[in-house]
Amino acid sequence: MEHVIAKPGLGAGAHAHLRWILPVLCLLAGLHLWLNGGMPPAGPWWQQQDIASLQFYYASLPRMVMALLAGAALGLSGSVLQQLSGNRLVSPMTLGISSGAWLGVVLAAVVLPDNPSLSSGWPALLGAMLALGLVLLLAGPRGLNGLPLVLAGMAVNLLLGGMATMLVLLHDQYASNLFVWGAGDLAQIDWQWAQWLWPRLLPAALLFWLAPRPLAMLSLGVAAARGRGLALGTILLLLLAALWLSAATVTAVGLIGFIGLLAPNLAQLLGARRPLAQLAYSALLGAGCLLGSDCLALAIGHWAGSSLPSGAVTALLGGPLLLWLVRRSLSTAQQAAVLHMAGGQRRWRTGDWLLLLLALLGLGWLSIALAPGPDGWQWGWPDALLWSLRWPRSLVALSAGAGLALAGVLLQRLLRNPLASPDLLGLSAGSTLCMLLVAGWLGRPLQQDATMLALLGALLVLAGLLWLGRRHQYAPGMMALSGIALAAMLDAMLQTVLAKGTPDGLAVLAWLSGSSYRVTPAQAVWLSLTVLLLALAALACQRVLTLLSLGDGLAQGRGLHLSAARLLLLLLVALLTAAVTSVLGPVAFLGLLAPHIASMLGARRAANQLVVAALLGAGLLLLADWLGRVVIYPRQLPLGMLASVLCGCYFMLLLGWQGLRRGGGQ
Amino acid sequence: MRLYWLGVLLCWAVLGCAFAGGIDELAAARAQPAAKRIVALSWEAAENLLELGITPLAVADADDYRRWVAQPLLPGRVLSAGSRLEPNLELLASLKPDLILSSPVLGALRPRLQAIAPVLTIDAFRQDEDHAQAAEAIFLQLGRVLGRQPQARARLGQLAQGFAQLRAQLQAHGARRLPRVQVIRFANASSVYVYGSNAMPVLALRRLGLNTTGTPAASVWGIRQQRVVDMAAWQDEVVLYQQPFAEAGRLFVSPLWQGMPFVRQQRLAAVAPAWSYGGVGSLYYLAQRMTAALLQLPLLADKPVAANRPSLRSST
Repeated sequence: MEHVIAKPGLGAGAHAHLRWILPVLCLLAGLHLWLNGGMPPAGPWWQQQDIASLQFYYASLPRMVMALLAGAALGLSGSVLQQLSGNRLVSPMTLGISSGAWLGVVLAAVVLPDNPSLSSGWPALLGAMLALGLVLLLAGPRGLNGLPLVLAGMAVNLLLGGMATMLVLLHDQYASNLFVWGAGDLAQIDWQWAQWLWPRLLPAALLFWLAPRPLAMLSLGVAAARGRGLALGTILLLLLAALWLSAATVTAVGLIGFIGLLAPNLAQLLGARRPLAQLAYSALLGAGCLLGSDCLALAIGHWAGSSLPSGAVTALLGGPLLLWLVRRSLSTAQQAAVLHMAGGQRRWRTGDWLLLLLALLGLGWLSIALAPGPDGWQWGWPDALLWSLRWPRSLVALSAGAGLALAGVLLQRLLRNPLASPDLLGLSAGSTLCMLLVAGWLGRPLQQDATMLALLGALLVLAGLLWLGRRHQYAPGMMALSGIALAAMLDAMLQTVLAKGTPDGLAVLAWLSGSSYRVTPAQAVWLSLTVLLLALAALACQRVLTLLSLGDGLAQGRGLHLSAARLLLLLLVALLTAAVTSVLGPVAFLGLLAPHIASMLGARRAANQLVVAALLGAGLLLLADWLGRVVIYPRQLPLGMLASVLCGCYFMLLLGWQGLRRGGGQ
Repeated sequence: MRLYWLGVLLCWAVLGCAFAGGIDELAAARAQPAAKRIVALSWEAAENLLELGITPLAVADADDYRRWVAQPLLPGRVLSAGSRLEPNLELLASLKPDLILSSPVLGALRPRLQAIAPVLTIDAFRQDEDHAQAAEAIFLQLGRVLGRQPQARARLGQLAQGFAQLRAQLQAHGARRLPRVQVIRFANASSVYVYGSNAMPVLALRRLGLNTTGTPAASVWGIRQQRVVDMAAWQDEVVLYQQPFAEAGRLFVSPLWQGMPFVRQQRLAAVAPAWSYGGVGSLYYLAQRMTAALLQLPLLADKPVAANRPSLRSST
């Protein structure tokens, strides 16, 4: 071991791969240039003034250079982050850094339209730093090498992405020129971005020089590294450098996911073991991956006759590839990682039922009776016409909230993971993706056959989860990973649709933000009956739930057929999610939060938690629906997005507060 | 379960209604000259009403209309009816309008809008129609329905006259010399939307007697996204770009842009903002602004400045 730490080199075995990686990279570069319009006429470049050579020197060449730079930076940043955390699932994308940057840019575009500060890159950088700060705060110092970091990253991703979408929806005309950026487009018109980016990537050299030794020490474990005199400051410095690399890249080329996650994993697959080898290979492979997917984007663009953003291609390719890759390299410790969210000491009392029901009734009265009108606020029972407009929305909010909360309780108990929820596991994204794909393929309106398609999507994701999970005993890590992949693919599709620049894109965006606006009375009644039925089924499963939370061995000992019980419960979750998603679109965080609040209030027994969480979820969504209708009257905010952002903020506060208290108590 | 099938049936019925709209619906509608309180849920509907001399009671996204469509002027007292994708139904219900002018985007909402007031859907943008002709037909039919057919005819006459004037102005400056004209809108510094053969700006150019692009765009909205680099293939086109373009300062100084044939030969002009998805009025305002832009080209300036440019002479 001493030897390894003293000489952190490339290692003999790894050199073998350089022989083919570098030629392949050159080949890809040539292919890229060829796809991008071919070579210029021969002759020294400073004498060339015709358009073909201008095209080559100011569009094709910078695009290739940008692909190489951005890919290498993302790969390197991912590698540093992964080695620092000892976590194969960490990357700039999964830590929410890209969403943070996107939010920063959208915010800057809305607050300061027509301002050149947009291209200076500072808003994106600030947003990225905010995201990383949030994730670190959430995961806490001890959560760095496990699943908590990734789940916190996913949560931050969802929250900041949701905020950005909300801003875009509210200011569609201003933000429309951002859509192409958001989709991660590598197209260049001069060397400005390349010149902006390369000096900012110089810290990479510092990384190659400084990082191998501390990283080698860290690979022995944090305690051992401390023992050998590794300072916390060094780790923070490395972290900052990695963040800087990815934030600068996101600023220059937009949202390009997966490269930072794939490249380090590929490097490890190729046998790069020592820190320096991992860094070098990740950078090379990252550059290669991005160049390759940009080649594909160019080829598809030629074939389809319009440009396709490279970010979309990386996401569509990277999602499945990632699942396949990490499935084999995920360590057992990470798979079995169990999270604990501290509950309160409070006990549930009979009087609490009364309070909860009273609060729910009050909210119901509020949502039906109090609303702004053309002549100011109106208070009182609505007339028949208004009543017929209001009750379906309120009913849908109630039943969707209850449904998502139930799905959340079931999933959290099933996976013994307090951060599990339908949106983090990709069930909602799967439903939505299925609807979007079919609607886009057949050119039909989104709402048509919505229920069937949503169910199909959720069931497909579920089947995938079950298939993947069987090999890993339904490990939370695997499940979260599928969620990450699907959510990123959905995001890429959405960005691609928006980048087309037609008004149809905004309609898709509006639907994706979870609106109760278009719900028909029949749909409302259908959803409430379905949720009621499934809730009864869930209550019937309460013994199974209680047994499951005792642990596998104990549950089996009491005569529970484990895999049958899991299958049944997962099916129930899929049905609940599909029913809600088909009517309302995706709603994030509620399924995560409602069960947690219920247990904080003291409802910790299975049946109790189910009912209390369902009521809380119903109330929360009802409140969100009412707020969405009145806050920016006469315009309206989509209920799903409002709920996601509100619940997300609350969730962050909660976790941050717990983290602080934990830190202070020790 | 029965309720579910009821729901499915209802959805089908709703969607069926959504596809039955369009000019045909407007043509089949009976006249309602008594309708005074009219709500417009799309900007082309609002524009058509204003061109007919009717002030709507409420317009969807009224504030954005004032910023993006601007002309014809929407009086300040007109209420906003929520967004164009999700108009505020409760507000509409309390306004008690006589007539609601809707758009195909809101097709699924039709039954609920009809519970509030009679609904007319204006479907101005279809892939298989000439949008400019459709706009005129819609304007005339709307005039008939609202009992203002004479005004509609008069306004169309005025607009035709306006077009003739613009056309004459262009011809007087030698527009016959102009090669093909392309209209674009920038998405950002590296990609553009090119208006296809059935887009309003291109149709306006045709009315001005100019040579325009022949490629139809695949979408209903008539635009195609393209990279800025690919514009280098436009060898002798005149290029008009719509303002505002925030990143002009960055793109226009780049050597690549400076090397584009239409930039080198000064065949590029900026067009003042006008609404590209409107009705007959917008068509005219687009023509007006594009004429102004074209007249600033050296190619059409009073004194032919292109004498020292052999490439230009050979192309005309």
